[in-house]
Amino acid sequence: MNPKYRVVSIIARGALLACAWAAGAALAAPSAATAAAGSPPTATAPATPASGTTAAPDVAPADNFKTLDQEVQGLKKDVIDLNKDLFVLEEELLFPSNTQVALYVSMDVGAFFALDSVTVKIDNKEVKNYLYTAREADALLKGGVQQIYLGNLKVGKHELVAFFTGKGPAERDYKRGATINFDKGIGAKYLELKITDRVAKHQPEFSIKDWE
Amino acid sequence: MRRVTNRLRPLILSGLLLALPLTDADAKNIKPDPNGLPPQDVKDLHYGDVLFYFFQDDYFDSITRLLAARQLERIPHTQGEAELLLGGLYLSLGEHVEAGRIFEALLNQNTSEAVRNKAWFYLGKVWYQRGYLGESERALRQVSDKIDPRISAERYMLLAQLMMRQNRYDDAITALRSWHGTPDWTAYAQFNLGVALVRRERLADAIPYLDRVGRIETRSEELLSLKDKANLALGFALLQAQRAAEAKPILQRVRLEGPYSSKALLGVGWADAGVGEFKRALVPWLTLRKRNLLDSAVQESFLTVPYAYNQLSATGQAAEYYNSAIESFDAEMKRIDDSIEQIRGGHLLDRLLDDDKKDTLTWYWQLTTLPNAPESRYLYQLLASNEFQEGLKNYRELNYMSRNLDNWREAVSAYDDMLDTRREAYNRLAPKADAVMSATDLAGLTQKRVDFESRLNEIEKSKDVAALGTPEEQRTWVRLRRVEDYLAAHPDDPDLAEMREKERLMKGVVYWRLSGSFKARLWNARRSVKELEAELKETQKRAVLVRQARAGMPTNTGVYAGRVGAIRARMDQLQQRLADVSAEQNRFLQALAIRELEGQKLRISTYQIQARYELAAIYDRASNDKPKAKP
Repeated sequence: MNPKYRVVSIIARGALLACAWAAGAALAAPSAATAAAGSPPTATAPATPASGTTAAPDVAPADNFKTLDQEVQGLKKDVIDLNKDLFVLEEELLFPSNTQVALYVSMDVGAFFALDSVTVKIDNKEVKNYLYTAREADALLKGGVQQIYLGNLKVGKHELVAFFTGKGPAERDYKRGATINFDKGIGAKYLELKITDRVAKHQPEFSIKDWE
Repeated sequence: MRRVTNRLRPLILSGLLLALPLTDADAKNIKPDPNGLPPQDVKDLHYGDVLFYFFQDDYFDSITRLLAARQLERIPHTQGEAELLLGGLYLSLGEHVEAGRIFEALLNQNTSEAVRNKAWFYLGKVWYQRGYLGESERALRQVSDKIDPRISAERYMLLAQLMMRQNRYDDAITALRSWHGTPDWTAYAQFNLGVALVRRERLADAIPYLDRVGRIETRSEELLSLKDKANLALGFALLQAQRAAEAKPILQRVRLEGPYSSKALLGVGWADAGVGEFKRALVPWLTLRKRNLLDSAVQESFLTVPYAYNQLSATGQAAEYYNSAIESFDAEMKRIDDSIEQIRGGHLLDRLLDDDKKDTLTWYWQLTTLPNAPESRYLYQLLASNEFQEGLKNYRELNYMSRNLDNWREAVSAYDDMLDTRREAYNRLAPKADAVMSATDLAGLTQKRVDFESRLNEIEKSKDVAALGTPEEQRTWVRLRRVEDYLAAHPDDPDLAEMREKERLMKGVVYWRLSGSFKARLWNARRSVKELEAELKETQKRAVLVRQARAGMPTNTGVYAGRVGAIRARMDQLQQRLADVSAEQNRFLQALAIRELEGQKLRISTYQIQARYELAAIYDRASNDKPKAKP
C-alpha cells in the first residue's frame, strides 16, 4: 500500500471522528437547560492501538456511576435522618418542654419597616440581641419565621419586652418596643414577635402573640 | 485560575419550592409584599422556622428542622405543604430517589396541576442530569402542557435529548419535528433535529436545519456558540460525504476566536485538501499548528501540515515538520504521564475543591474554577461533563456531611458531660429535697386552712364582731366583759351604779366600732383564706413536681444516656461509611480522569507512530531517489 494513501486514510478517519464529535457534542439547549449530552467521543485514534500505550487499570465501568450514586443517596438520607434525631435529642435534653420557652420573629408584608435588629429582655434581663443580615430579613419577608431565642424559664409569671430597630417610613431610623406578661405553665411556651403593617396609618406595628 | 464553561446555569429550584408552600396558603392581607409574594398568616410557627432557612437556601438546616417538626407533631396545619416542601428539599439536596418517592405519593389528583407539573419537571430534570434516563422520561411525560411556556419548551427539549442519548434518533426526530417552543428555544431544537438527522445518515434532510442555525443573526454569546457548533457539525458532515467544496464556506462561518475555531480551521484545511488545493490547505493548518497542543485539532495539524508539504513535493519541509511533531508528541506524552501520576497520588478532588465554599449544599452546585495544576489543562473537557460534575458533587456532599458529623460529635460529648453533672447534682440535692419534703406537713396546713374557714363561718353566723377586732380591741372587749361579769355579780351594790353606767356606755362605743368594721374585716379575712388556699395549691403542685422529678430524674438521665450512646454509635458507623464511600467516589472520579488522560495519550501516541512512519517513508524515498553510484 502506498504510504501516502495510508496516512491520508488515517487522517481522514480522524476527520470523520472529529465529525462524529461535532455531532456527538451537539445536543444543545440554552444554558438554563440541562447540560449537553455526556462526554463526546474525542477525535481519537485509528483502530490499531499504538504499541507502548498502557492499558488503563483504573478504568471506571460506565455503570459504576449509578451504583455509587445510589449508595451515596442512601448514605446521605441516613445522615439527614441522624441530623434530625440529633436535633430532637438536643432540644429535649437542653430545653425540656416543662421549662422551654421559644421566641419567634415574623414579618408580615414589611412595606413600612426594614428590620435591622431585635433585642429581647425577659424579666428585665437581656436574653438576645440579634442583628439581621439582608438575607435573613429577606427570608422573613418571604414568609419565614425565625426562632430568635430558645431557653428555659421557671413555671410562673414573666414579662417579655422586645425592641425592634430598623428603617421606618421615609427611610427614617425607627425603634419601637412591645411587651407582654405571660404565664409559663408546665408545657413549652411559644411567643411570636410580630411585625405587621398598619396600612391605614402607613406605619409598622409591633406586637407579641402568645401561642397557647 | 480558569473558569469552566458554564454549561449549566443554576436552576432556580426555588421556583418549584416557592410554589409549594404558598399554593394553598390563605392570603390574609391584600397588599402584596415587595417581592410580589402574597403575605400569609403564620399557621405553624415551626413550619415558618423551616421556611426561614429554606428562603436563605440553607436546605440542609431546613430539612433537618422540617423532619424534626414533623416527628414532634408541630406542624398540624401545614402537613400537606410541608410534605411537598420535603420532597423539594430532598430534590435540592440531590436526594432524587427520596424526592421521587414523596412526589409519587403526593402528586395525585388532589394536588394542583401547577404544583404537580413543576414537581415532575424538576424531578425529570435532575434524573436526566444524573443519567437516570428511563426515570427522567417517565417524570417528564407526567408534565402536562398547561405549564409556563419556557418550562414546557425545556421539557420537550429534555425529552428529545434523552432520546438522542439513548440513540433513539427516529423518536427524537419525530419529537423535534412537532416542536412548538418559544422562539429562543427554536434554534436549539433545529440544531438537535439536524444532528439527529445526520446521525440517521439523512444529510440532505439535516442541511436546511443546520444551515438555518448556522446563519442566525445574533449578539448573544450563547447563540453565537450554537451557531459555530451548527456550522462545524454541518461542515464536517459534508466533508464526510465527500462534498469538500460545499463544506469550506460553511466552516469559514465559524468564528476564529470562538471555542470551535481549531476544529473549523482543521476542517477548512481538509476542504481545501479535498479538492487538491494543498497550498491553500496549509494556511489554516499552519495557523492551527501554532496553537496549544492540548487541542486534538492542533495535534492533528502536526500531521496534516507535513502531509500537505509532502503532497506539494516539499519533502524537506515535510521531514522537518514530522520531526518537530515527534518531539512535541514526546513532550506532551511525558506531561500526560506526569499528570496521571499526580492524579494517582489521590489529591485531584481535594485540589479541585480547594477554593470551594464548603458551607452550603445545593443541587445546582457545580465546579466553576479549576486549580492552576498541570493536570487541569488536560481535564478541562472532562470536568465540564455531567458524569464528572455529578460525581464531584457527590464527593463534595459526602465531605460536607462528614464535617457535619464532626461538629455534632463535639456537642454529643458535651451532652455526656452534662448528663454526668446532672447525675451528680441529683445525688447531692436529692437528700436535701427529701429533708424539706418530710419536714413539710402539707396535709396539716391544709387542715388548718379548713378550720380557719369554718371559724370564719361561725363568726359570721354568730355575728361575733369582737372576734375580728384588733388585738387591742379584743383586749378592751375582754376587760369590759370582765367588768360586766363583776357588775352582774353585785347587782344591788349602790356604789357600783355609776360604774355600771360607764361600762354600758363604753361597751356601746366599742361594739359600735367593732360592728362598723365587721363586714370589711370579714371580707379581708375571707380574702386571706382564699390567698392561703391558692398558695397551698401551688405548694401542693410544686411538691408533686418535686416528687416526680425526684422519681423521674434517674430514669430520665438513664434514658438520655442511652439515647446519646445509641446516637454516638450511629455517628461512628455513618462516619465510617462516609469515609468508605467518599474514598470509593474519589477512586471512581480518579479513574475517569485517568481514563481521559490515557485516551489523550493513546491518540497522541497513534499520531506519533504515524509521524515516525511517514518520516521513515520520506527517508526511504529519498534514499531510493538518490542516483546510484556508478560501479
